[in-house]
Amino acid sequence: MKISLNWLKDYVRLDAPVEEICRAITFLGFEVEQVIRTGAPQLAHVVVGEVLVRDKHPNADKLSVCQVDIGPAGGVKTIVCGAQNYKVGDRVPVALPGAVLPGDFVIKQSKIRGQLSDGMLCSAKELGVAEDAAGLLILPGRPELGQPINAVLPPGDVVFDIEITPNRPDCLSHLGIARELAAWFRLELVYPQEKFNGDTGTQVRKDLLGEVVVEAPEDCPLYTAHVIAGVKIGPSPAWIQERLNAVGLRPINNIVDVGNYVMLEYGQPMHAFDARKIGGGRIVVRRAEDGEKITTLDGKERVLNSSMLVIADAAKPLVIAGIMGGADSGVGDDTTDLVLEVAHFKRQSVRRTSKRLGLGSDSSYRYERGVDPHTALEAAYRAIDLILETAGGQVVGPACKVGGDVPWQREIVVTHSFICEKLGFEIPEAVMEASFRALELTISREEPTESRGTAWTVAIPSWRDDLDRPIDLVEEVLRLHGTEKIPAATVTVSGLVGDDDPAVRFNRRVTDYLVGHDFHECVNYTLRPAKELAGWVSQTAAAELALANPFVEDQSHLRPTLIMGLLDTLKLNQSRGVAVSRLCETGRVFIESNGQNLECAAVGFVVGEDASRQWRKREPMDFYAVKHHVAALAAAAGIDLTRQPIVPVTGSYFGWQEGHSAAAGEMAHGWGARFGLLNLAMVKALGIVGKVYAGIFLILPEKIPAGSGRKRYTDFSLQPAAWRDLALVVDATVTAEEVRKNLAKIAREAVGNAFAVEAVGIFDVYQGQGLPEGKKSLAFNLVFRAGQRTLTDEEVNPVFQEIQDRLAGVTGYTIRK
Amino acid sequence: MQDTLNAMVAKASAELALIGARPGFEAAKARYVGPNGELTAVMKQMGSVPKEQRPAAGRLINEAKAALQQLLDAALGRIEAAELQAQLGPAIDPTLPSPDAGPGTFHPLTLVREEMCHILRKVGFTVADGPEVETEFYCFDALCTPADHPARDAQDTFYLPESARFANVSKKTPGEKYLLRTHTSSVQIRTMLKGAPPIRIVSPGRVYRRDTTDATHSANFHQLECLYVDKGVTVRDLKALLDYIFESLLGKDTKTRFRPHYFGYTEPSFEVDLSARHLPKVNKEWIEIGGCGMVDPAVFSAVGYDPEVWSGYAFGMGLERLAMLLYGVDDIRYFYQNDLRFLKQFA
Repeated sequence: MKISLNWLKDYVRLDAPVEEICRAITFLGFEVEQVIRTGAPQLAHVVVGEVLVRDKHPNADKLSVCQVDIGPAGGVKTIVCGAQNYKVGDRVPVALPGAVLPGDFVIKQSKIRGQLSDGMLCSAKELGVAEDAAGLLILPGRPELGQPINAVLPPGDVVFDIEITPNRPDCLSHLGIARELAAWFRLELVYPQEKFNGDTGTQVRKDLLGEVVVEAPEDCPLYTAHVIAGVKIGPSPAWIQERLNAVGLRPINNIVDVGNYVMLEYGQPMHAFDARKIGGGRIVVRRAEDGEKITTLDGKERVLNSSMLVIADAAKPLVIAGIMGGADSGVGDDTTDLVLEVAHFKRQSVRRTSKRLGLGSDSSYRYERGVDPHTALEAAYRAIDLILETAGGQVVGPACKVGGDVPWQREIVVTHSFICEKLGFEIPEAVMEASFRALELTISREEPTESRGTAWTVAIPSWRDDLDRPIDLVEEVLRLHGTEKIPAATVTVSGLVGDDDPAVRFNRRVTDYLVGHDFHECVNYTLRPAKELAGWVSQTAAAELALANPFVEDQSHLRPTLIMGLLDTLKLNQSRGVAVSRLCETGRVFIESNGQNLECAAVGFVVGEDASRQWRKREPMDFYAVKHHVAALAAAAGIDLTRQPIVPVTGSYFGWQEGHSAAAGEMAHGWGARFGLLNLAMVKALGIVGKVYAGIFLILPEKIPAGSGRKRYTDFSLQPAAWRDLALVVDATVTAEEVRKNLAKIAREAVGNAFAVEAVGIFDVYQGQGLPEGKKSLAFNLVFRAGQRTLTDEEVNPVFQEIQDRLAGVTGYTIRK
Repeated sequence: MQDTLNAMVAKASAELALIGARPGFEAAKARYVGPNGELTAVMKQMGSVPKEQRPAAGRLINEAKAALQQLLDAALGRIEAAELQAQLGPAIDPTLPSPDAGPGTFHPLTLVREEMCHILRKVGFTVADGPEVETEFYCFDALCTPADHPARDAQDTFYLPESARFANVSKKTPGEKYLLRTHTSSVQIRTMLKGAPPIRIVSPGRVYRRDTTDATHSANFHQLECLYVDKGVTVRDLKALLDYIFESLLGKDTKTRFRPHYFGYTEPSFEVDLSARHLPKVNKEWIEIGGCGMVDPAVFSAVGYDPEVWSGYAFGMGLERLAMLLYGVDDIRYFYQNDLRFLKQFA
């Protein structure tokens, strides 16, 4: 809200410098977004002068030496000037020694290039009147010589653009801010003295206003209407226009301007009707009918419904209550008789309607935040005073007032020590009491307590609806004490036993791992476009992840994977010619599972083909390297991927290349992993160059273990092992792990309890020449070991033979000789 | 015999000197000291040496044996050294760059978050976590946001459709709508409901606002909030924490100041300014860095803590904003584009 300093000075004698006032506003709790200075500041020793002579400076090409007449009292001065835009005979501002121009620029008699100068001829910028610095300010209209410059320049003002916090609707007014500043500077606040006292005299004009009916008192607890007959519409006086202009409002006519003026003064919105346009002489405050229409002042037709409050005449709505008047019922140039409405509308009602219609105004802004119903009549009387003053006319009956009968009463009891305990430092009782008084918080009772200092009963004024509890008074005391004066202290820490959340630690571990493996950590947006999800999840799942109210089309869905964002990053870097390969990200992803959504902690990475040319080639990324990384990520969540079934992806998985990628977990136990080559066609369609390998690991945050649990040592044999190698020819489609598991099982059965099959590992995979079509050879290394003795060939050979015999009986397996 | 042995050692010495590889060495070794070797043959003659001469002969044989062994060891050492040498390629040029990618880099937001968490860890704050999909209760109701408050508006907050169900995000009441959390204060509520005071947590995380993306706004961004609940917590304690945080982050000369402000869930509330002298690209004396205040008694009531007994403070700030200030980044979108030329600057 824009607040004019000149205006504030009507209520409080603010002599402090503007910087001090800014600081006060700031530390009272309102942010000063901008300070706008209009006109000239008060300048002493700056007068009107006339250039009599302009000679070139003997020692400087660009300077002139002027003889300047500053009137009978000052005489003629010699002044050196660098400007070029003036001529002899021009009248200009002259700053004499002793003047202080904006920016603390002190004017002194001085020598400029050897030439004595008795002051300075000024530009508009130097006077702080305008930004323009192109030469001297040439004063029009030949003002009298020697006059103080402020008598010639338009009066200046300072306008503060202040952000008013939503808890302080009382400060959406000049009186509100003046009250705060008066409290801060401990100055007296002078309220406007209304002359009108509610006495409408003997004349009653029922023809202008018959009656006021409030049909919706729940939305309109107070409605007042006053009739003013015989007004003359015209421009409002200069002082009102100046003030409205200063705070950014366009003057319209005396009646509208007075309405705005009093709203900006008291914070109370009001509305003036042309009495002739109130059909049937009847004002009805009611809910609109569904589909009822009104054309508002801005020329737009609005369709109303029954949740909206209107001020209507006998036939039609005239005003959308508290928001905006109709185009037809307002005051026009030919208006002679007025009905002035000053009412209180419930904030919820105004807010609801304003939101539904997408229509706001200075009036609705104030009603939505809260207008003090107990100042309504005062504001009405003030407006009537100003209307009579600027538009003439006289107040006639009837004066209507409906509702507003609930008196305001609120008291808070607070003790001195309560406030000190909350603050953590002492403020003397007398200072607190002074703060209360300064804010017009009346102390209605004062009682000493045994150990908690004085207990004050503080009466809260009606405009401070935000003060309701003792803690609220702590803030008031602190505000006036000054938050800058909170004494310094050291942090005192009592030991609290705790550890970081398991999900946080998981996140840290996997990021450390990936960054340690040369990945660059990325951060991408959570919200993704619908068409992109189609490439990754089923239509049903995508529907579940849609936002109800996306802001932009390409951020409409929750991300089901981190890979999409990482591909964006790959693409961005590639397109900018930045060599890029390993990228990773951690963060939340959202997946649909059995008709419900799950929020998962996730870690993902991609490895693109590095386009950078190197003097030595490295092995390209492959599936098994990716698998290794995913296993490490799973391990960070306490999951041993080597013990988990891993299945190749088939066409039903999105985004991944069939035959070159795999999945594990599948959320059956709250986690899942996918890894391998990304779908070549998808990657190509995205415009990414080269193949991309990727991996992602998801886990429900609540499934991440807090610790890995203490392991127990298992005894191991110190005896040497015996090795045997064996190759099996199997169908190419059979997975190696299936064969390995079968072989291990058979080996264990053949060995029995004689000794241990310590490991069955794959050391070679072969397919091609020498093998039948559709077959592959898997070579295994079997490791046997006994606990207490060295195994001999005599023991191992028969067992190894037994294994081969058993394998011969397995369909589909052939031992390769 | 002595002559035979001397000749043998001399021959071996000459022969072994010429052997450069292992097979030749093994053959030579067999020739001299193997079961059919020359020295073995001499030793076999011992039986025919008269008994009184045997000690002398034995000594000669031992001397020869030792000499041979020395020659063999020397030859083997030479061969092994040559073998190792052969494993090496040509000498490296240490100035050539490694062809391996790297090193990896942490995202600047991670670096700033971890630094903050580390600073707070030292004064007893542990990191708490919570869902990004939230419900109206945890995000608004429990934080005393009135039902018609603009922050709850569909204009400012992302909502999920009423039909949406999240199996692992609990609702307080069945009728609540799911939304994307607008602040990490919801984590504070969940933490307070789950545990008992005293509590001292920091909750960094991603939050969402329905906002136009530009140089300073982003549809999602990150916050970091601290909550401390205990008996007798004061405004002065809060100020001490903020002073501590920013002195740790930016050095002892750093000052903070409070300006009174309004937040629905703290009373009194303050905005926190930071003396900006240390910061790149800032030409103001003070710069706003976050908001804080004393936990409103109504919030304690909402989570079932007795406001007569418990008090506390909360502080929150934007991580992007902090990172922008610390690093002198002037466009928030850089954090989300992940241009490697950007990411590599903060490692």
